[in-house]
Formats: sequence, structure tokens, C-alpha cells
Amino acid sequence: MARMKFLCDADRCIECNGCVTACKNANEVPWGVNRRRVVTLNDGLPGEKSISVACMHCTDAPCAAVCPVDCFYTTDDGIVLHDKDLCIGCGYCFYACPFGAPQFPKTEAFGVRGKMDKCTFCAGGPGEDGTEEEFEKYGANRIADGKLPACAEMCATKALLAGDGDMVADIYRERVMRRGGRPQTWGWSKAYGEG
Amino acid sequence: MRSRIPHILLLAVGVLLLTACYESSDVTRHEPGVYKGEADPLAKKLENDGELREQLNQRFDGQRDR
Amino acid sequence: MKLIRKQAQATSSSDAAKRGSAFDRRTFLKRSGLTASGAAVAGSIPLGMMRRRAHAQSDSAPAGGNVEVKRTVCSHCSVGCGAIAHVENGVWVQQEPDFDSPLNMGANCAKGAALRYHGLSDKRVRYPMKLVDGQWKRLSWEQAVEEIGDQFLNIREESGPDSVWWCGSSKANNEGSYLQRKFAAFWGTNNIDHQARICHSTTVAGVANTWGYGAMTNSYNDMHNCKAMLFIGSNAAEAHPVAMHHILRGKENGAKMIVVDPRLTRTAAHADQYMRLRPGSDVAFIWGLLWHIFENGWEDAEYISQRVYGLDKIREEVANWDPATCEEVTGVPEEEMRQAAQTLAENRPGTIVWCMGGTQHHIGNNNTRAYCVLQLALGNIGKSGGGANIFRGHDNVQGATDVGPNCQTLPGYYGLSDGAWKHWARVWDVDYDWLKARFDSEGEYDSGDGTLAHPMNIPGIPVSRWIDGILEDPESLSQRNNIRAVFFQGHAVNSQTRGPEMKKAIEKLDLVVISDPYPTHLAVMSERKNGVYLLPTSTQFEQIGSVTASNRSIQWREKVIDPMYESKPDAAILHLFARKFGFADEMFKHISVDDSGMPSPEDTLREINRGHWTIGYTGQSPERLKLHAENRHTFDTTTLVARGGPCDGETYGLPWPCWGTPEMKHPGTHVLYDNSKPVSEGGLTFRARFGTEHEGNNILAEGAYSKNSDIEDGYPEFSYGLLRRLGWHQELSADELATVAWVAGLREKPTGSASEQDVAEFRDLESDALDAVNWKTDLSGGIQRVAIAHECAPFGNAKARAIVWTFPDQVPLHREPLYTARYDLVSKYPTFEDRQSIWRVPTRYESVQNTDHSGEYPLVFTSGRLVEYEGGGEETRSIKWLAELQQDMFVEINPADANDRGIKDNQWVWLEGPEGGHIKIRAMITDRVGRGVVWTPYHFGGWYQGKDLIDRYPNGSEPYVRGEACNTATTYGYDPVTLMQETKSTLCQIKAA
Ligand code: SF4
Ligand code: SF4
Ligand code: SF4
Repeated sequence: MARMKFLCDADRCIECNGCVTACKNANEVPWGVNRRRVVTLNDGLPGEKSISVACMHCTDAPCAAVCPVDCFYTTDDGIVLHDKDLCIGCGYCFYACPFGAPQFPKTEAFGVRGKMDKCTFCAGGPGEDGTEEEFEKYGANRIADGKLPACAEMCATKALLAGDGDMVADIYRERVMRRGGRPQTWGWSKAYGEG
Repeated sequence: MRSRIPHILLLAVGVLLLTACYESSDVTRHEPGVYKGEADPLAKKLENDGELREQLNQRFDGQRDR
Repeated sequence: MKLIRKQAQATSSSDAAKRGSAFDRRTFLKRSGLTASGAAVAGSIPLGMMRRRAHAQSDSAPAGGNVEVKRTVCSHCSVGCGAIAHVENGVWVQQEPDFDSPLNMGANCAKGAALRYHGLSDKRVRYPMKLVDGQWKRLSWEQAVEEIGDQFLNIREESGPDSVWWCGSSKANNEGSYLQRKFAAFWGTNNIDHQARICHSTTVAGVANTWGYGAMTNSYNDMHNCKAMLFIGSNAAEAHPVAMHHILRGKENGAKMIVVDPRLTRTAAHADQYMRLRPGSDVAFIWGLLWHIFENGWEDAEYISQRVYGLDKIREEVANWDPATCEEVTGVPEEEMRQAAQTLAENRPGTIVWCMGGTQHHIGNNNTRAYCVLQLALGNIGKSGGGANIFRGHDNVQGATDVGPNCQTLPGYYGLSDGAWKHWARVWDVDYDWLKARFDSEGEYDSGDGTLAHPMNIPGIPVSRWIDGILEDPESLSQRNNIRAVFFQGHAVNSQTRGPEMKKAIEKLDLVVISDPYPTHLAVMSERKNGVYLLPTSTQFEQIGSVTASNRSIQWREKVIDPMYESKPDAAILHLFARKFGFADEMFKHISVDDSGMPSPEDTLREINRGHWTIGYTGQSPERLKLHAENRHTFDTTTLVARGGPCDGETYGLPWPCWGTPEMKHPGTHVLYDNSKPVSEGGLTFRARFGTEHEGNNILAEGAYSKNSDIEDGYPEFSYGLLRRLGWHQELSADELATVAWVAGLREKPTGSASEQDVAEFRDLESDALDAVNWKTDLSGGIQRVAIAHECAPFGNAKARAIVWTFPDQVPLHREPLYTARYDLVSKYPTFEDRQSIWRVPTRYESVQNTDHSGEYPLVFTSGRLVEYEGGGEETRSIKWLAELQQDMFVEINPADANDRGIKDNQWVWLEGPEGGHIKIRAMITDRVGRGVVWTPYHFGGWYQGKDLIDRYPNGSEPYVRGEACNTATTYGYDPVTLMQETKSTLCQIKAA
């Protein structure tokens, strides 16, 4: 069965934030909410590496496991989505998530979290696909349009790949072979288990 | 604004991932409950709709180096 | 429902948090963003709001209903990335990757991926405005043009045409930038310039004087073929992000990547070898490398003997740069140098990449020539995988340099001689004497070498020095009077040095006109209360035109949306003023203007085609460029050659030179000077630009020639005289010969087709005038056609020259920066003597260097790029998606220097330059910079010496992010050949604020 996955190739990622603004552009995510961001390790030191991180759409999604109102669901091809009408903004998923993916927009009432927002793999949310309402709540539904996540499609160096896990792995393996290195599929075993 | 904790966690995970190939499964997983929200027609669509699947696979070629 | 984390991970996370280095720049900025004023806007704007706003705005847009798909080109750097725009009812509703573009294959960096925001921007100048007693007052376009026009005409009357200084833009399309230059010519001045001055002017001069053309020799795509890559003063990961796609592919193919920079940049993070260089020691570094190359006999002797002149003189200088001396000056140890030299020697062909880190020095032309010499010694030029891959900056800075607003030349590098003016008068179909009369005819002025010349023939005041044109005593200027008014169309003044003096200069002006999509730093940085006009100007997404990427490929850019608010495209604004000034009919004689007042881009490009023989901008007709755009998926992403389809065999975007007329169907030249190919297929030789001999030595190529060439040796540039000597002149058609005879002044301008009879009298005529018509001035293209029919390069076949005898330093020399932290080196490597006049302005060298500032200002101060912003940053800081990612101006400082000053991470500090300019910014403590060196980005503006100028912006138009312009603290210093400003090596002191 096809399984949608993200992969960020840290040998290619240059921390250009193309993926981040592509996400903002496609989904019109408000200021302060970052569905995707780029993390740099050893910033300014030899060995500096960057990886672009968003929701990895985990196989056994820890966020879903802890959600007290059970607002998460996983599509047949592994995209983890949630229903904002159910979400109570409790933030449990945020603590459960190994990737820091869930985001909480500020709301008027001080100290109260808004509904959780996170990367949808550009697959919108529940309800009818491609509606204005879906867009306002969840952002773009590119998958329904036959398109893949904007961040990966626009990545400056094709470091970030998104799509069918087997195809993603193929590209990556080929690259690693050419480089003569060892595959380092960061986050994969954490997100997708050994499969 | 959000606290800084998540970023630190994220970095910690990153450091682990970058430096170690051994990953202990350090979270205990629990079965999620049953989804209680509104249905998403997309959830099942990809498996039933060969055309959409094909479209997505073709679209993926854009991510190749070419 | 519980999730338990094991202790182990919790520990490691807190460990990571304690380690200072675990914080990256983003974390840092995020934190600083918490307190940033005005940055925390829109925290709770719901999703979809912007789309709604877009729909609301569409009320005024023409109703269409359907989604239109437009193909545009990113306007933020010279990589030339394509992007696809979906437009609904005139509103840009969606952006998609342009997978078909062979330049970027869908990829975009942060700026390119945020392009759609241009169509949503609420920070734009919406209508014409003027500053009246400190208040912005709305005007109609008619009022604005009348008022500005009258004042300009008045100044012209009183002080002459040179008292208005014009600034064009590297962000204008080829057509717009060409019209900017043409406009200045018709106004009657050479006082026009653009960003290229402070970007790659030293490259253009240095490189063109070495081998012919001052442009990137190969392409980003060709870097897939490199075996080695040397980056010096280039941070591609932030400045040309999508270039990194090609670079990393080259690296994956096995290329060795070396990065030389004062900072361990994000590019350096991907390198095989990184070397930390002392700012301003590039020549010493290159000579140090060459020392090892010569020492080990790693140079390419055969290549040098065939294709390079003057290397012996270089050897003499290089001999002075033994490893110890080199380390003393550059800071790079012998072993690292040797290793790099060996890598370059053993991995050929290799390329060199340089950018502003190399060019923006008071010896910039020496730096660029030294880079060239290194590549020549290694035999790397004219080869796929080799070359000098000079990454240009703005999206169309290459095109604007080629065809646009430059103060030292007419379009196409023709220069400013009478011959050049006559050429352009023929192309423009205007009378030469009429043009000449447009200029100041009151007197002649010092042309720079003490001789007097007509203002038409003296280079204008460049963008780096316009403030001196205002502030200097008029007696010491090479023009009649001071500059009294400025007209900026698409330029950020905060990218120029000496902020406090600039402020003074702006305050002294009669009039400031800013034609720009955004208000810009210029509108707010001075205390002016009156006499500032804002003219809303469209972005590139609101007009059609062609744009030249760094690799010389020209792309057709479609219009995405109509001009926003009341804005007009640059060319339309120029047309309005041309009408007001009374020369519109002459200027737009062969360019139709539509009902909206927009000069036809197609007609303009055809006029460009008719005049730019020097660089082969002649074959790229609008029709051919559109065909390439439509069929871009057929081009190979490494060779850039189309395989099949209607463009079969042509190179993407017809990179210049694309010789002859469009009908000749030259495929464009992917790799310059590659003599393994025939000229008709994009092959080339080195240009014979410097005569045929020097001091009795032949400087034409010896035994090297392009494939299939009928002349199997060096030859001079083609003229009718040379054709005649070769007997090839008989191959000119009657039409071509008629045109040649007209250019020679022997007959009337041909109208209609000429018969053999019409030209019989010229066929075998021996006439100096006829013989002198050459490949650059022959408007028929016949001389180029015949030369290429014999597979010869129209510009001749010479050696590249390692020494430039017309420049201040024949052999590139190291000279200490005017403000140097190593004052002990000044006596050995002093700067130049002061100069009375370079291009109209006195220029000081030793009188500045004579004072040692290194005690009071011990830190070396250099500047550079952030990926999110472009140039002065007004536009990109007004794009919310980008602004959010970089909210504060900051300075990178080494932990040791910070500790010495008791400065903590993220704290406010004052950075002060030795000329007194000071800026209040945040400290970012990092090992990215070495001890004794500090670095700031240069994209910020909207603050001045500690004060946020938000109140001075027209209501609501202030960029989301504002900050100190680093150039408020930068200092004096200019290259003697091009007046490039020194921004990459000055001094400063930092203290806690
Ligand atoms: S990455 Fe985080 S938010 Fe995404 S599925 Fe995994 S646990 Fe949930
Ligand atoms: S766009 Fe690609 S290269 Fe740039 S930061 Fe994102 S993942 Fe890295
Ligand atoms: S700024 Fe340059 S690299 Fe980035 S998307 Fe635009 S053209 Fe491409």
C-alpha cells in the first residue's frame, strides 16, 4: 500500500527556508504559526547541518494516542489529520510529538491556546475537499488536486522530498550511492517504525 | 508567544538522530481512541481512485533531479 | 492515554539546551522577535484571510472568472527560477513550482517560494504622493508629472542637464532598463547608473579586460560537470540558494568543493575544505595559491602558450607570495594553501565562483583579475565544468549591465566615444547633432586624465558617488554644477556606504523623486519636510518583459497581474516624463505605446536586438524567447540544449552572444571561449579586444582556434577591411553591403531592399571608411554572418591577458584596505595616491589611509546576505512570510570579542564606524566569524542611528521589519577603475547599548 512520507536530506538542505515560505504561501498560515521550520545544528561551527522539520505523519502517531477528544485520524495512505472542531487546544499532542510539530495560534483570551494547527501534508482536513471552509481551517488540499506538499515541491535543492515512501526512498538511495555514504534517513524510524 | 521548550526538544531529537544511528524506542506507545470527528472523503479516496494515485506519482517526478 | 518519556531523553535534551552552540540563528531571532517592536503583528489572523482580502481587492480587477496560468520568473536573484502563477479574476490566488524550467526544475528559495505575496502586498505606495511640511499628500499622476517635470526643467535651465541624477534598476526588465539608459541620453546626461556599480562592476571591468566579456562564463547548470569548485567571497546558500541545487549535484558527481571566506558560511558548511580569509586579502590569497601551483609545475603550459599573454609578469609578483608571507597577510596557513592548490590541480576542469566578497573592495578590479589569472594558469577557462562562474545579484542585473543604465557606457558596452554615440543615433534613428545638443554645451571638463572633454563623452557620476556629486565643491567636479535633484527608479540607497553623509546630501537637494513599489529608506532617512515625491511603480509581476539570468540566458517573463493600486510600470512612467520633456516622439520613434501608456516590450526588445552587436544580444527576438519559454521542458538540465522540439539544438534562453540576426538562428553560447565547438554552435575564442600586439609581442592566439575555423590561428576582430583582405567581402549580400556603406557614411540609409546594382560601386571599393565598419557597428549583421559562415568568431581570436596595461595596477597587487586593522602592513602594501577626478568626482586614497584607526576601532567590519531578503530589503521586508523569519538587524561577533566587551547574546549594542556612523543592533555571538571580525547583514533600513523611522512612512506602508542600515556605519573607499564601493573591509568598535 502506498504510504506518504517526508524525508529531508541533510546533505542537501541549505537552510534557505524555501520550504517554510512555500508552506506559508500554500496554506496562508498566520504569523507566529510554523507548520514547518528548519533546524540547524552546530550553527556556525564545522559540521553545521540543517534539517527541515514538520509533522512527519507518524505511523503510530503519538499525538493521536494522547488526544483526549480523539480528534486525529489517519488516511489510508498514512497522512495524519485532525478535526479542529473537536480540538480543545489542550496541547497534549504537542508534548507527545517527537518533532514539535503541533502549533497553537495565539487567541484573544490571554493564556488560552487556539485550536491546534499542524502540517496536513497539504491534504486539508475533514469535510468536503477543496472548499473555502476547508481552506480557512486547514489550508490547501493539494493532494485532492493531485499535487504533493508545496514545501517539498519547491525545495531549493530537492533536499526535502514528499510522496510515496518507496519513491522517496528510491531517490534518496540513488543519491547516497552516488555520494558513497551511508543513508541517514533522519526521523524515519521514529516516525515510521522499522517499516 | 510559545515557550521555548519545544525547540529544545526538537534540537535534542535532532542531535540524537544526527549523531546516533541507534535509536531506542524511548516512548511507550498507546493505542489511540477512535476518531470522533467529521468524515474526510479524502481519507479513503487515494486507495480507490487509481487516477488520483497515478497523478500523484507522476507529479512526484518533479522532485527528481532530472 | 499516557505517554511516558524515558529519562534518558529528557537528560539529553537539557544538555543540548545548555550548550550554547545548540542555538541556531533562527532560535536566536525567534527569541529576539519576542520583544521586537511592531513585529508581533497579525498573530491571530485566521487562515484564509489573505485569500479573502485578495478576493475583495479583485472588485476593481477585470472580471474573468476562470483561472489563468501564467509563467513568471522570480525577481529576487540572478538564478532565474521560474514560477507558475494561478490568477483568478485578476488576483494571484496560487503559486506552483515550475518543474519544466531547466534552470530551477521547480525549486525556489524562501524568496521565490513567497512570490505570491507581491500580489497581496498592503505595504505598497498606492498613489503618487509628495511630502508637504512633513505630511504625505496624495496627488494625481498628471499633477505629479507636471510638478516634477517643471522643477526638473527649471533645474536643467539653471544648472544644466547634469544637475539631475538618474538611477535605474537591475530589477527592471531588459526593456525597462534599456529605456532608462536611453531616457538619460535623451535628457542629455550620463548621470545615470544602477546597482551593478556596487555589485559586480569590478568584475565586469576586470574580467572583460582579461578575456573579452565581463560576464559569467559558464552556467549554474554546467556546475554538474565540475571536478573542483572554489568559492571565494560567495555565499551561494544564502545569496543564490537554487544554485546550490546544481552545486550539490556537482559535488555528488564527485567535485571537490572549497570555500574561502571570512565567515564559516552556510555554503562553507557543505564544503570539503574551508579556509578562513582575512577580509580584503584576496589578491594575496590567490597569489599564494599560484605560488604552490608554479612551484609544483601544476600550470597548464600548453594552454598558456596558446591562449594566455603576460603570465610572466604575474610569476614575478607571485614569487613574492611565499607561504609565510601569504599566511602573514591572509591568515591562511601553508598546509591549507598547499592542499587547496593541489585539489585544484588534480581535479580539472574546476570552476571559481566569486561574488560581493571579492568585488566590493577598493582594489576590487585587482581581485577579479587575480581570480581570472588563477583559472587561466590552470587552463580552466573555455571548458565545460570550468570557467569563472561569477554569480550576479539581482534578477536582471546581468541584463541591466548589458543593455541598461550605466554611467560609463551606452547600452551594449559601446562606451561613450563619438563613434558609440553615432552608432546609437543610427539605431535610434535620431540625428547625432540633435542628441549632442541635448547635453550641457557650456564647457568641457576634466575627463579624468587631465584632458578636457565634452560632457557627452565623460562617464557620469556612479551610484556609489551620487552623494559626492551633491556635497563636493562644484569647482572640483567634472561637470557644470552640483547635482540638485535625484530620480530613483528601483534602487535602495541603504545599500550604499557613508550613511551620515548621504543623509546630509539628501537634505541639500532641491528635489527627491522615488519611483518604486515601496517607499524605500530614501523616503524616510533624511529630515526633509518638503520636496520628496513618491511614484507608485509596478513590480516585475505586473508587466511583461525579458530578463537575463546570471548565465546570460534570457527568459520571457509574462505578466501575472495588472499593475496594483495606481502603480505604473517603469517604462510607462519614463514615457510620461519623455512626453513632458518633449522628446517622446524621438525616443519612442520605433516603439509603439499602447493606450495605457505602456511602451511595447516586444518593440523595445527588437530595438535592443538591432543595436547590441558587441555582445550578441541580436538574435534573441521576442518570438524566439517566447518559443523557448513555451518549450522549456525540452531543454537538458545539464547542457541546457534542447533535445528535439521546435528549439532543437538551441541553448535555453539563447545565452549571449547569440550572434547575428534572429533569422540566422544562432543557438546561443552556453560556455564562453569554448573552442572545442564551432562558433555556429556556441563555440568561441578569447576576444581580440586589446589590439594585436603589446610591446612588440603578438597577443593573438597561437595555434588555438575554434573547431572548424577557416583561420587556423589567431586573428583580429572582423571588420569590412579584414573581410576584404580575406576575400570574404564578396559573400555579403547586396542588402548587407548597402547597410555597411551607409554606416560608413558613403550613402543614404537604405530603404527597402537593395539590388546588386545599387551596391556595385562599393563591392571592390578600397575605402578607409568602409574598411572601418566592423562586427560591432554593422547594423545588417552581415560581417558577423560571414565570419561565422567561416566558423570564425566575429570578435577575433586572441590570447587572454593576465596583465592589463590600461589599469592602475597592471599586475594585480595586494593593497591594504583604507581602514585596516593591520596598519603594520600599510607601509608594505599601501593604497593608491589620491586622484583629482575619476568620472567627475575627486577620489581619495592615501589621505584616508594616512590615519591609523585600528586602535580606536579594532574590529574588522564586513557585511553580507541573508537568504530571506534581497538588496536594501524594502520589498522583501514587506513580504510577511519572509519578514517573520528575520525580525531583527544583528551583528555576528566572536565569543572572544563579545566577552572582551562584556556583551551577551541577543543584547542591544552600538556598532560605530571610524567615520562616526553608528547603529543600534543586536549582538549574535557565534563562532561563524573569526576573532577580530564582525559581520552584519545589509538588508535592513527604516532606522537611523538608534531611531525607528516608522512615523515618516506614508500611512501603513512601513515594512513589517525595519532595522538599522549597516551602511550607516560603513566608510569611504572606491575602486579606481569602476568606483566600486568598499563595504567588505572596514573597521568598527562595538559596545553594549
Ligand atoms: S510528527 Fe507529531 S504531529 Fe505529526 S503525526 Fe507524528 S506525533 Fe503527530
Ligand atoms: S527548501 Fe529545502 S534546502 Fe531550503 S531549507 Fe527547506 S528543506 Fe532545506
Ligand atoms: S531568489 Fe534566486 S534562488 Fe531564490 S527563488 Fe528567486 S531566483 Fe531562485
